[in-house]
Amino acid sequence: MKGNKRNLYFDNAATSWPKPEPVYGAAEIFMRQMSGNPGRTGSTRTIEADRLVYQTRAALARLFHAPDPSRIVFALNATDALNMAIKGIIEPGDHVLFTAMEHNSVLRPLGGLKKAGLISATMIPCSKEGATDLDFLEKAFKPRTRLLIVNHASNVCGTIAPIDELIAIAHRRGAFVLVDAAQSAGVLPIDVQASQIDLLAFTGHKGLLGPAGTGGLYVRPGLDLKPWREGGTGSFSEMDLQPESMPERLEAGTLNSPGLAGLLEGVKFIEEMGLDQIRNREMELYAYLRDKLSRIPGIELYSPEDPSRCAAVLSLVMKDIDCGELGYILESAYGILCRTGLHCAPMAHRALGTFPEGTVRLSPGYFTRKEDIDYLYGALEEIAALKS
Amino acid sequence: MANYCYLTFPTTYFVLRAEVVLQETNLSFKLLPVPRSISSSCGTALRCSCADLDAIKNALQKAAVEIEGCFELAEKERPNRPVNRRKKMES
Repeated sequence: MKGNKRNLYFDNAATSWPKPEPVYGAAEIFMRQMSGNPGRTGSTRTIEADRLVYQTRAALARLFHAPDPSRIVFALNATDALNMAIKGIIEPGDHVLFTAMEHNSVLRPLGGLKKAGLISATMIPCSKEGATDLDFLEKAFKPRTRLLIVNHASNVCGTIAPIDELIAIAHRRGAFVLVDAAQSAGVLPIDVQASQIDLLAFTGHKGLLGPAGTGGLYVRPGLDLKPWREGGTGSFSEMDLQPESMPERLEAGTLNSPGLAGLLEGVKFIEEMGLDQIRNREMELYAYLRDKLSRIPGIELYSPEDPSRCAAVLSLVMKDIDCGELGYILESAYGILCRTGLHCAPMAHRALGTFPEGTVRLSPGYFTRKEDIDYLYGALEEIAALKS
Repeated sequence: MANYCYLTFPTTYFVLRAEVVLQETNLSFKLLPVPRSISSSCGTALRCSCADLDAIKNALQKAAVEIEGCFELAEKERPNRPVNRRKKMES
């Protein structure tokens, strides 16, 4: 098998690749033809750019079933959106709840706010399968608990959190919920109204199939965040304070409009294919991958067996080989690309029992083929055989 | 010289929303920079014939599009050109 080197991409949890064909050209078309600075008074080009931004906002509002597109605020990525949400909603003295599956883009802002003496925070433990401990959660609320942050789908083991249940519990206790949809947007169905989501952070370059440098935050109507960056919004220019009107209130500065042009194409692709079809395909690929790898002796799998309980993210460890080394062999000898280590989610690895060594993470995507998985299986089988 | 009516909006978001809403009707309108004689929070205005103004306002109000102001201007169809061009170049 060695020497038959290819370039097989199994790192969609980091960023999706390939993109739907129209995504690539959209940025170029924008820059060649439309390039106006949206929101700033000027020529028809400006209005063209505005239209494009509006259409992207409206497409995302449709995808997330948000009736009002003005509640979709664009950001640089999910990390940006999460910071915007956390720092926009908490007040000094607040208490925040978060789960063990959270990414550093949640853990680090909370760590910083704790260190500055602004908040206290409690982690809700998760099982070895990544499932949130609901009993612990019920008991963890305090009078000053302001916010519960939950990772919709773990970027380590894929486990889907029961967000409807968690939101019901939090709302009964008077707390808001911030859902981190970095791994779920464009893959799992999300209905911000039906699920009563207060805040939803998403990124454009993973499941939404757009370019990097795009993403955003849904803020439910009636919820007002303190802006975390202030500046020009193309309106109310005589005011020296950030205006109140959404979405501009939270969107100071020039947007990544070429990026948003690409993101629009990604979202349109998802609409055309249908979220169901994409989800079914990924579950099929995940089940096929997991089934094959479970037959290799010496490999331990850390993601759920039932594909309906997780996103297509599979973590594994191979006996007697460091995960970094395994990842290196997979790429250099077999041309298979994945991600190894702690995946910026150290508490998740602690919960799974893979701290501090980490895991090899394989994440197929909508465009992954069964023969790619066959090849990956062959490679891991060969490596395991050599190791034993 | 024709009289045109202009609608202004608090932010660009509402201008674009207005466009989407009105495209569903058969009312004529145009988006363009706010004329200098009007001041507004957002620099893009919606221009229409004054005969259509009520119908347009109704459609926008039904869709919860926030309107800031309403103006009637007597104006040529083409936007104003700078007057003192030659003077500027000499100095």
